[in-house]
Amino acid sequence: MDKILETIIQKIEERNPRHAKKLRGNMEGLEDTFYYQANEFFDKYLDFVDREGKDLDYGIDSYMKMIRDYMYEQVTFAKTGSYSCTSFEDANERVYNNPEVMDYYMHGLMLSQFLWRHHYEVFEFFNASFPNYASRINSYLEIGGGHGIFLSEAMKATNMNKEYHLVDISPSSIEIAKGFVGEEKVKYFLTDIFDFHPKQGYDFITMGEVLEHVEQPLRLLKKLHAMLSERGRAFITAPANAPAIDHIYLFRNADDIRQMLDTAGFKVLEDISIYAERVSRKKAEKYKVAEMYGAFIEKK
Amino acid sequence: MLTTTTTLDALQEIFVDVLDEEDIVLTATTTADDIEEWDSLAHVQLIVAIERAFGIKFTATEIEAFTSVGDMVNTIEQKQA
Repeated sequence: MDKILETIIQKIEERNPRHAKKLRGNMEGLEDTFYYQANEFFDKYLDFVDREGKDLDYGIDSYMKMIRDYMYEQVTFAKTGSYSCTSFEDANERVYNNPEVMDYYMHGLMLSQFLWRHHYEVFEFFNASFPNYASRINSYLEIGGGHGIFLSEAMKATNMNKEYHLVDISPSSIEIAKGFVGEEKVKYFLTDIFDFHPKQGYDFITMGEVLEHVEQPLRLLKKLHAMLSERGRAFITAPANAPAIDHIYLFRNADDIRQMLDTAGFKVLEDISIYAERVSRKKAEKYKVAEMYGAFIEKK
Repeated sequence: MLTTTTTLDALQEIFVDVLDEEDIVLTATTTADDIEEWDSLAHVQLIVAIERAFGIKFTATEIEAFTSVGDMVNTIEQKQA
């Protein structure tokens, strides 16, 4: 391990040794590709914070605030069995309409892309399989693009002459994606996905970690179904048992998500589920450890 | 309310129970580095058990800031004062 990733972990270690211990444990056994990709991503992140007039310490402090919130939500979840946020309005008030919280949350999430093994493994799953679906893609949409890393990889693997589309409800999220992916080949739409009405179906839609942020994920999956072309495919991810300040809908396990995909009219082509902690399945189920699910899907 | 003589004794019982490790001996300076089982997952379970046992509720900042058993003892006793 070297370069910026190691610097980040050392800075986390200074602030919270227990968390750094977990991160180092999670990275055990990862291949060189991980370190290459992580350092490449974090170099881009450094450019981004620099453009914002901030520095890496700002990013680390943001990440630690997110971890603080995350830990608190985990304690609440362990006691109540529910997410503390119960409606979109609640999430809006706590996070999306709260610039200070939104800012540290976005920075924290960006760092988590390579600090959290389950985030990285789902990304790797996407990278490994997406090229198999790429040849027949002539239109591409990403819903809730975050930092845009999935879109970046999709752009490398496809050969489209048209613009890639990205829809996001958050202005700050779109700004971050622009910083990471650029504006040359991507058209950004700042809107609620339910107010987005494309004239033609998309050949491929990516929707990472959005379902848990809405009150009615089934309605969102049906909307996704309606926006796919007849032979279109999609890649979705969603976590189960993952308390966070803006997570609303609680999936109890990966099967819960599979069931909803089926109800929405989708067939799963291939999928993956990974626990957020490196523990046995028995222990993960006992303590309701967060589980990240990802799937390539098509219409039934 | 716990009937044990000191906060540290009460924490000792909770750690042994939650971490399922009979040999744990806590002191004020004990940290996660001293107890292999005290990882982030165990930390959540410990906090839940401590809150229940003492009838208190920690803030997000307190939960994150606990680095030693001594930190926990001080915060618990402040909340009970």
